[in-house]
Amino acid sequence: MKSWGKWSKMILIFGLVFGLLISLNKGAFAKDVIKFGCAMSFTGKKSRTGKLYIDSLKLAAEAINKSGGIKVGNKSYNIEIKFYDDKSDPAESAKLIEKLVTEDKVNFLLGPYSSGITIPDSIVAQRYKIPMVEGGGASGKIFSRHNPYIFGTLPAAGQYFRTTLEMLLGFKPKPKTIALIYGDDKFDISVAKGAKKIAEKLGLKVVLYEKISEGSADFNTILTKVKAKAPDALLMAGHTEGGINLVQQAKELNVNVKMISLTVGPSEADFRKSLGKDAEYIFGVASWSPQMNFKGIIFKNTKEFVKIFKERYKYDPDYHNASAVAELAVFKSAIERAGTLDPQKVRDAIAKTKIETIYGPVEFNPNGQIKGSSVVLQIQGGQVYQVYPKGTKKPIYPMPKWKDR
Amino acid sequence: MLLQIIVNGILKGGLYALMALGMSLIWGVMDIINIAHGAFIMLGAYCTYWLFNLWGVDPFISLFLSIIFMFIIGYGIQRYLINLVIRATIFITLILAFGIEIFINNLALVMWTADVRKVQVPYGASNFSIGCVTIPYVRLGAFFIALVIALVFYFVLNKTRTGRSIRATAQDLDAARLVGVDVAKTYALTFGMGVGAAGAAGTLWAVLFPINPMMGGILTLKSFVVVIIGGLGTMFGPIIGGLTLGVAEALGSNWFGTTYENFISFTILVLVLIFLPKGILGKSE
Repeated sequence: MKSWGKWSKMILIFGLVFGLLISLNKGAFAKDVIKFGCAMSFTGKKSRTGKLYIDSLKLAAEAINKSGGIKVGNKSYNIEIKFYDDKSDPAESAKLIEKLVTEDKVNFLLGPYSSGITIPDSIVAQRYKIPMVEGGGASGKIFSRHNPYIFGTLPAAGQYFRTTLEMLLGFKPKPKTIALIYGDDKFDISVAKGAKKIAEKLGLKVVLYEKISEGSADFNTILTKVKAKAPDALLMAGHTEGGINLVQQAKELNVNVKMISLTVGPSEADFRKSLGKDAEYIFGVASWSPQMNFKGIIFKNTKEFVKIFKERYKYDPDYHNASAVAELAVFKSAIERAGTLDPQKVRDAIAKTKIETIYGPVEFNPNGQIKGSSVVLQIQGGQVYQVYPKGTKKPIYPMPKWKDR
Repeated sequence: MLLQIIVNGILKGGLYALMALGMSLIWGVMDIINIAHGAFIMLGAYCTYWLFNLWGVDPFISLFLSIIFMFIIGYGIQRYLINLVIRATIFITLILAFGIEIFINNLALVMWTADVRKVQVPYGASNFSIGCVTIPYVRLGAFFIALVIALVFYFVLNKTRTGRSIRATAQDLDAARLVGVDVAKTYALTFGMGVGAAGAAGTLWAVLFPINPMMGGILTLKSFVVVIIGGLGTMFGPIIGGLTLGVAEALGSNWFGTTYENFISFTILVLVLIFLPKGILGKSE
């Protein structure tokens, strides 16, 4: 028994030493890494859209590493993204960003999904003076705080419906009235306020302008009001689940408007799957669509990105996915231009970004938000098409009544 | 338009009533405030979703399956879990129910992810009109099913031997035990019935609204409000409570804006607690 104990001890020591040698060796040969930190909604209310960012960021990071990483001076670095689950909770997200900076010592930060969560996260980024590029928050409130460390790749929320409203003016018979409803959420409020201003400037009458409580699944009351006011178009700023509820209940209550347009939803595959045929003719807004084609930094061009993405994840990418790729493209170009990992110098390089990505041209306003506008989508025959401006298909207006389908 | 809003409120009230029926039963008989009630509704909804998506079972048929399935789950949970602590203070059962809720929610999140899902039946949004009022079939169906289940509960509780033993246990535990009622089994049956009703509510919810694993929380709250408004101790309490809440919410959100829906619910709750502490139909002691 005694001699066995001795042997086992020796084997253990030998094993430990050997293991240590191997791990040291591996450390010596591995490429240095640039660490990115990201708190994203893996679970909770925002997790469905959060997943789009996670998928995209992972794919883009792999593509960067496969094609030689990021060059800083003469040295090339691989990148690594450290993810945490913020449970769709802004307070939790801010805590995790703090953890990423202080414990995980990440070099740079990637943004979360949705405006309400981006605001507290961006404040933490500012406190530690680490640049954050985010592709998931578009509310003006993120960029009006004079925070030099936040950059966003989604166009200003207040401008989201501009193209839709401009398109409306070209329809025959010319629409005169719109109803505008919006969720109780930072992004939705920004969208609605902006849209109201633009609509009034364009001479459209806003006959109903009302907020809906976040998390409410019942739109019966508001739809009854819409029916009574009979506007030409119904525009809603909300998130996917609300959009599905709105369309289904509009059909339940037989509310026939000539057009329904939603901010988030129509571009996502889940929205179409959930509503089936009832999703037809619904309009959407997006900063990007897979039918566009741009040269990219990480992927060769938009077409190639869409192809690789679909092979890997078996669903169509939408603007959230592309916006996430743009986050990393901005960092890659900025770090290479700065030639250092110093957060301050990289921040300055990001501010001067002027590149083309698979998401489109990226250039930032002085407040950190991208210069750009949105395109109008419509679901036709189960597919999403860009219909304005210069779409692949013509918009269908008015949409047929529920009874005539 | 006002008429339409009232009709909307009544139909929604029917769904509220169905949601609250089970909670009211469990609360009335065992003095357990079942915080996990919403989670059981969620399970019922997913039960319907999978039956529909995997085998094409129509929700109005899977209604029965989800009632049975949820009954078994409820029976098991009471028999082998809650019965262990039922003699402890109400606080302990509250915590246990809370734990069950967290467990079920997170299990659902792991198994089915947080994706928003929808039972897409062809007749999902069909409707008919009487004058200027449009009535969706599914909501009307939900309303009647709530009434039928309330009647079934009423019948079971008042006309059958099982029901008598349930009521006996609720009234005087020791006396019931003395005359030979198997209390543990009766409790399990009651809990099973309550959870079965939650399953039915889940099925109808899934036909009307998108579902996700975290949907239960707000439903527990709404059921709670309905039970308090209607009053404990009678099967018609939740129905009156549900209808009151449904109509009040519909009218309130019409007058003050939809953001105030929850504000209205909880204001009514406070008012009822002040002026009718036993609820509208609650029996005074």
